[in-house]
Amino acid sequence: MNLDHSILSIITFVPLVGAVVLALLPDKGRTMQWGALAVTLLTFVCTLHLPAHYDYAAHGFQFETNAAWVASPAIRYHLGVDGLSLWLIVLTGFLAPLGVLISWNAIPTRKKTFYVLFLLQQTAMLGVFVALDLFLYYAFWELTLVPMTILIATFGRTENRRKAAIKYFLYAFIPSAILLVAVVWLYARTGTFDVPTLTHLAATHGIPGSSSALWLASLAFLFAFAVKVPVFPLHGWLSDAVAEAPTAAVMVLVGKLGLYSILRFSFGIFPQQSIRIAPLLIALAAIGIVYGALIALVQKDLKRLAAFGTLGHVSVAVLGIFTFTIAGLDGGIYQTLNEGLGGAAFFMLLGLLYERYQTYDIREYGGLAAKFPWMVTLFVITTLSVIGLPMLNGFVGEFLVFSGSMQWSLAHGGSFWWTALATSGVILTASYMLWMIQRVFYGGLGIKSETVAGWDLDAREHIALWPLVALFLAMGVVSPLWTKAIDSFGKANSFTPFQVILVPTEADAARQAHAHGRGFAVVRGYAPDGTPLALNDNGGTK
Amino acid sequence: MISPNVLALLPEYILTITGVLVMLIEAVLKPATNRKPLGWLAILGTLAAGAASFYQLQFGAVQAFSGSIQIDAFSVFFHVLIAAVVVVTLLGSLDYFEGNASHAGEYFALTCFGAVGMMLMTCSVELLMVFIGLEISSISTYIMAGFRKGQATGSEASIKYFLLGSFATAFFLYGIALAFGATGSTSIAAIAAGLGSSATPTMAFLALAMIVIGLGFKVSAAPFHVWTPDVYQGAPAPVVGLMSTAPKAAAFAVLLRITFSGFLGMQPRWAVLIGAIAVLSMTIGNLGALLQKDVKRMLAYSSIAHAGYLLVAFTAFPQDGIAAACFYTAAYAAMNVGAFAVITQVSGYDETSRSTEDFTGLALRRPVMAALLTFFLLSLIGIPFTGGFFGKFYVFSAAVSSGHIWIALIGLANSGVACFYYLRLIAALYTKSLKDVTPEGVDIVPARSFLSVPAGIGLTLAAAATLVLGILPGRVLGLAQRAGTTALAPVEKAAMPLPETK
Amino acid sequence: MPNEYLWFIPLLPFTGFVINGTIGRKLPRAAVTAVALLFTGIPALLVAWLWAGVLAGAGTISIVSAPWIAISGFAVNFAFTVDHLTAIMLGVVTGVGFLIHLYSAGYMAHEEGYWRFFAYLNLFMFFMLVLVLSSSFLLLFVGWEGVGLASYLLIGFYFKKDAAANAGKKAFIVNRIGDFGFLLAMFLIIAHFGSLDFATVFSKASQIGASGGFITTICLLLVVGAAGKSAQIPLYVWLPDAMEGPTPVSALIHAATMVTAGIYMVARCHVLFDRSPAALMVVACIGAATAIFAACIGVVQTDIKRVLAYSTVSQLGYMFLACGVGAYSAGIFHLMTHAFFKALLFLAAGSVIHALSGEQDMRKMGALRKRIPITFWTMTMGVFAIAGLPPWAAFFSKDEILYQAFISGNPLGKLLWFVGLVTAGMTSFYMFRLWFKTFFGESHVEEASHGHDEHGAHGHGVHESPWIMLFPLVVLAVLSVIGGWVGVPKALFGHNEIEAFLYPVFHATAAPNEEIAGNGLEFWLAAVSVLTALAGLGLAWFLYVRKPGTSAALAAKFKPVYTLVENKFYVDEIYSALIVTPILMVSRLLLAGLVDQGVVNGVPAATSAGIRGLGTLTRKMQSGNIRSYAGWLALGAAAVLVFMIFGHASWIRF
Repeated sequence: MNLDHSILSIITFVPLVGAVVLALLPDKGRTMQWGALAVTLLTFVCTLHLPAHYDYAAHGFQFETNAAWVASPAIRYHLGVDGLSLWLIVLTGFLAPLGVLISWNAIPTRKKTFYVLFLLQQTAMLGVFVALDLFLYYAFWELTLVPMTILIATFGRTENRRKAAIKYFLYAFIPSAILLVAVVWLYARTGTFDVPTLTHLAATHGIPGSSSALWLASLAFLFAFAVKVPVFPLHGWLSDAVAEAPTAAVMVLVGKLGLYSILRFSFGIFPQQSIRIAPLLIALAAIGIVYGALIALVQKDLKRLAAFGTLGHVSVAVLGIFTFTIAGLDGGIYQTLNEGLGGAAFFMLLGLLYERYQTYDIREYGGLAAKFPWMVTLFVITTLSVIGLPMLNGFVGEFLVFSGSMQWSLAHGGSFWWTALATSGVILTASYMLWMIQRVFYGGLGIKSETVAGWDLDAREHIALWPLVALFLAMGVVSPLWTKAIDSFGKANSFTPFQVILVPTEADAARQAHAHGRGFAVVRGYAPDGTPLALNDNGGTK
Repeated sequence: MISPNVLALLPEYILTITGVLVMLIEAVLKPATNRKPLGWLAILGTLAAGAASFYQLQFGAVQAFSGSIQIDAFSVFFHVLIAAVVVVTLLGSLDYFEGNASHAGEYFALTCFGAVGMMLMTCSVELLMVFIGLEISSISTYIMAGFRKGQATGSEASIKYFLLGSFATAFFLYGIALAFGATGSTSIAAIAAGLGSSATPTMAFLALAMIVIGLGFKVSAAPFHVWTPDVYQGAPAPVVGLMSTAPKAAAFAVLLRITFSGFLGMQPRWAVLIGAIAVLSMTIGNLGALLQKDVKRMLAYSSIAHAGYLLVAFTAFPQDGIAAACFYTAAYAAMNVGAFAVITQVSGYDETSRSTEDFTGLALRRPVMAALLTFFLLSLIGIPFTGGFFGKFYVFSAAVSSGHIWIALIGLANSGVACFYYLRLIAALYTKSLKDVTPEGVDIVPARSFLSVPAGIGLTLAAAATLVLGILPGRVLGLAQRAGTTALAPVEKAAMPLPETK
Repeated sequence: MPNEYLWFIPLLPFTGFVINGTIGRKLPRAAVTAVALLFTGIPALLVAWLWAGVLAGAGTISIVSAPWIAISGFAVNFAFTVDHLTAIMLGVVTGVGFLIHLYSAGYMAHEEGYWRFFAYLNLFMFFMLVLVLSSSFLLLFVGWEGVGLASYLLIGFYFKKDAAANAGKKAFIVNRIGDFGFLLAMFLIIAHFGSLDFATVFSKASQIGASGGFITTICLLLVVGAAGKSAQIPLYVWLPDAMEGPTPVSALIHAATMVTAGIYMVARCHVLFDRSPAALMVVACIGAATAIFAACIGVVQTDIKRVLAYSTVSQLGYMFLACGVGAYSAGIFHLMTHAFFKALLFLAAGSVIHALSGEQDMRKMGALRKRIPITFWTMTMGVFAIAGLPPWAAFFSKDEILYQAFISGNPLGKLLWFVGLVTAGMTSFYMFRLWFKTFFGESHVEEASHGHDEHGAHGHGVHESPWIMLFPLVVLAVLSVIGGWVGVPKALFGHNEIEAFLYPVFHATAAPNEEIAGNGLEFWLAAVSVLTALAGLGLAWFLYVRKPGTSAALAAKFKPVYTLVENKFYVDEIYSALIVTPILMVSRLLLAGLVDQGVVNGVPAATSAGIRGLGTLTRKMQSGNIRSYAGWLALGAAAVLVFMIFGHASWIRF
């Protein structure tokens, strides 16, 4: 039978059903763990249906479901997938079972609360990625806050948990409230919540409305998303939330929701405004990369180190997408996936350390390499993926992003230096990651690592971690498997030309066009005001 | 075919009879005997009344008692709403007096009479009738506010409520007089017609102002809200659940009728007034709630804020405005009654749990209660898939589509502030308190506290209602929209010029 | 050799890495050794086969696989190309690499983590081969980063020693600074040429008439990369510390192969560099400066491995100098000979250390020539080679460089030549110093020293190494004698085969020089440098054999200078004071403290505090006093009335 029209609903609501079932089951023994594992695995298998049956040649949305929900205002239950959301959905499905495995023993009490909320979170996030109706999307978007907040409040690490939870909620909720006004305004203007319709409208003759109103609306959108990503300097909630939240929750906390929303809604509905504000965002991203790395460099708490590192990594993605180059967009999306995987692996490993030693204080560790050969191996591999070593996933993303940003700089005759600043992140990232590795695993034994007898990874932990490592390698070596889908989105949304042509002789152009196919149509790109750009040959290099 | 006069007030009749019956039986019962059956009787009566008002729906707009009563989708909507609220409250109260009060019968009777008054308010299109209904409902609530005779706070609440209430009612009455003076009639339709030719708009202004003041007090809108916190804190939880929803709903119904069908011609002016009141209520309500330790007091302030959100609807175009307001009333009733029902269950007759600290760690002791309270609070915040969210959404989109983005912005900024104090309570529910762990840090296994069946049913109803309003609002919304059109119908008959609609 | 076999050259070592890396822990040492040697030996044989083809005159071989990165408008494949340059590099890497594997089997025999060592070593071979085989910048960068990783792992092999862990980290991060430049260069190349494929880029670049402009930018950024990898000023600091690693590692990675990647890359990109005289000038100057600077430090080092480390830096400086004056083939030539004699020197030094059970301080050696004769003789070959005495290998390569510098069009040509010459002299001095201190004079060996931190517990007295270690020494010794004979210039009655061999690769430069200057000049220059080398030898002999006390006296005489040089000009200290500490301080105080706590978290906190304040104000309204309540009501009522009567609806609505 053909699932294509119901698959997305299935993917979205299987976790919800699972949550209800778990809520009814008795919280005895390992019931909750096994139950949650089963549900998440089932969800993951369902998500795999998408790439398997995805038509890479076609444009637009696939696996669509579109039914009326509320007559007036016209709210529809409209789901769909395109090159942008495809892999994000799979990623979300993939991380969930790992999250369950990693929480197996880490959450000894109140398991029911934990796993039910965890599954609710799944539904909310999957909903965000599949919803194509602005209202439906907003509903899921808001819903993502609730389980996370309660998870932090309930399972937080220190006495600070309640404050951290509220802080997280407020940071995310208040911008969303403003976003809601913009959404409602948009509806009042256009009479539809349907995203494809809105996107098409924006692409063809723009949303009706005074330019100032449009600006405000686009800012309301961007602001809400930027806080969620988070973009520097809106990251106030990050380190507290990360420091408090349990591992499984942190794994899904950062990055992809916000970045996806920017790409889908800010770019889709407000393309002109987004392009005009791009320079600002690129600057912020470049700063964010360095800023995050530098602060991570001086953290004493492993979790906070990871938090600020994450800030740096999502900033890379932000940098990429706002260059509006194919490379930048593809790289940005790819980097979003990388962040999801790398961050997950990193936080899982930290969680394992915490399980053994009950501390995140880096000064209490040291010399573990000899005791835990497997753990150090995985730590190093993760580190390498995070610092973007070629042949691992991180490199592909970062490489595309930075080269995209370089093209952007040159195309806008603009400053080569933002790219340089951003790229210097590769040095700093390596610095703090290796410093961390050394402090934890090399040298002599630390206070904790000497007194407490830990144990190396057990079978369950191996099962939870090796899939990630496999993906690091796969995504580093055969990236086209993933970019194939992503690229269709990137191509549609890129504005800056693929490259600055050096000496645009006929022969040159012809050879190039032949060599690179459609992608190198001699696009000249557009200045913010939409007029074709006059590209200077060696712009920015002086 | 029954005569309209019978038909029109059928629910009121039924409830009155029930109330009288309950009172008579109460009189003959021995103090010792259990009053529960009386409660069940009252519940049955209320259900019947609700059914009756549904039955009325089929006849469309019917006028009776020489045009002073009109039943239409609008009135039915509020009848059913009030009936539902009363039922849930009664269900919650059945075991509330367990062994505490020998006079529970009066309570049930008063509830019925109060309901009669509220229903009367919603279906009368003649200001004097409205006033009668208002008085009936008010008096019964005054008494119920001080029902826990033991506590001093109860009596204090009751007295404050009574004094200020009568003060406000006076304003309302005076407003009616002025309206009569301005237009020579107290019938809403006639007033609408009269305004067109009225030579003395100032008097009409004054009339409307007075009416707004009077009703503003009932719905505890700023700056007439001052009584709310003290009364809510003092009054018994179930009563608060009732009086924070049903009478408000009735008062809003009246306000909607008067403004939109009576004084529609002057909307540009009163819209601004009510908009200002709305903003004031939201802000004061949320700011006041921000630092409250006592949960009931906190919810009192939140109810002020919600009155503010609801008043935003008045700034919109009539059709959307009324529909949005109706829907919001329903949603708010569902979630607030629910919240107070939970509090009733948790803190019991002698209010063992009052402050946030008392509620800390509830999730460990009574997970289901905690989950329900969380759900209702989330709905009050306005989280999607709850009635509260749709309510806010409709109200604000109505305001925006009629061009009042500013008010929507203020409103949503407010809900940002609001979510802080709701959230503090939720977070408290889910964090361990010292009560739950032994000094050695081991979790104490809480004693299983049971939940009485009727209360359970009541809670389920409330929760279900909140959820349905959040997921499938279609039906209710349709009814609300129908209510909107019918409420405007007589006005259109009188050919009042409508302001341009989009 | 069929082209498909190219895949096996790098992939076999990788297989070795996988096997040893996963199950090596369980395997017996013999098995581990077998795997490691097999998977490096076969590629060596394949390369030999390849060479057969090349010498038979086969042209450039290349092979392409599925794309690695493919987005619309830009794609990079896994693609290998073998031209003459690559062929030479392949020979060096696989040949020397295999020999060193062999040597390690003996040297590391008693180490724990034996399997780990060989896994890393194979991993290194994999990446190094990818580096030299790749036919695009990006794939080259893969190898580039990969060898960095391998070096990080191998330097930190004794990770329990903080010094080792630090050295590893330092190496990786300093290399990252280089990679940063390399990356930027690649981005610029993409942006301007739209591809990273060598062929495409170079063909497009050669179409550009003009020179300079962005090409200079690209080249300078590439130089940053090369300087990082090839330990040139200012990024050389990691290499001396890298000696914390086991000696075979120093020989393979930090002498023979990895560190020459930078020179290889510059030579590979000669098309770009030829279009940017400015960049070439920079390269030449960096090279010369590094050469003499490192030599200075080398003169006073007492740790045998550190002397060799600094000499490596200095020799790399030579190669840079060669590239800088456009004599790429000379640079590659020296790269090759250097690979032979420096590997030899390190291995021999290792053998000495092995003999002395881990002693590395030359002041505790001496008079060893009788006790470990084979090591002595092989090392002697190495020393003579590096000193640049004919007919040892380095004589020809080094002279080629000096000659090219002398006659180059470079305005500073003569100066560069002179610097090179002086360096040659110093080199020969400190190498003979090492030679004399180690093998001659009276013995300072602490007999039966059980120190032996590096390997196991077989601390018996001075002993010659096992044959598995000596065999590579012998082979390399032979090579460092005859290795140079492929490049005998016409002036010395040979005909520079290597020049001719590399001609197709570097055709932009090369031949013309012969015409400009007659053979006579080259002959005399050669003579001069031979004399310089002999001078160095003589001085060393005088100071350390004839009058052993003198050196100490001199040191005492020029105390300040001596201390300065002995402490390597305090470069590390200066770096940490000027760069590392400030960065940490700024991050800790300014960013983490002020910005993050103050602004990022402070502003929202302030806002919420403000709102709370308003909240308290609102609560003040609730006096609980009923009269005040009535007052509020009345007040509100009044306000409403006033508004209704006088208010205007002119506002709102937009």
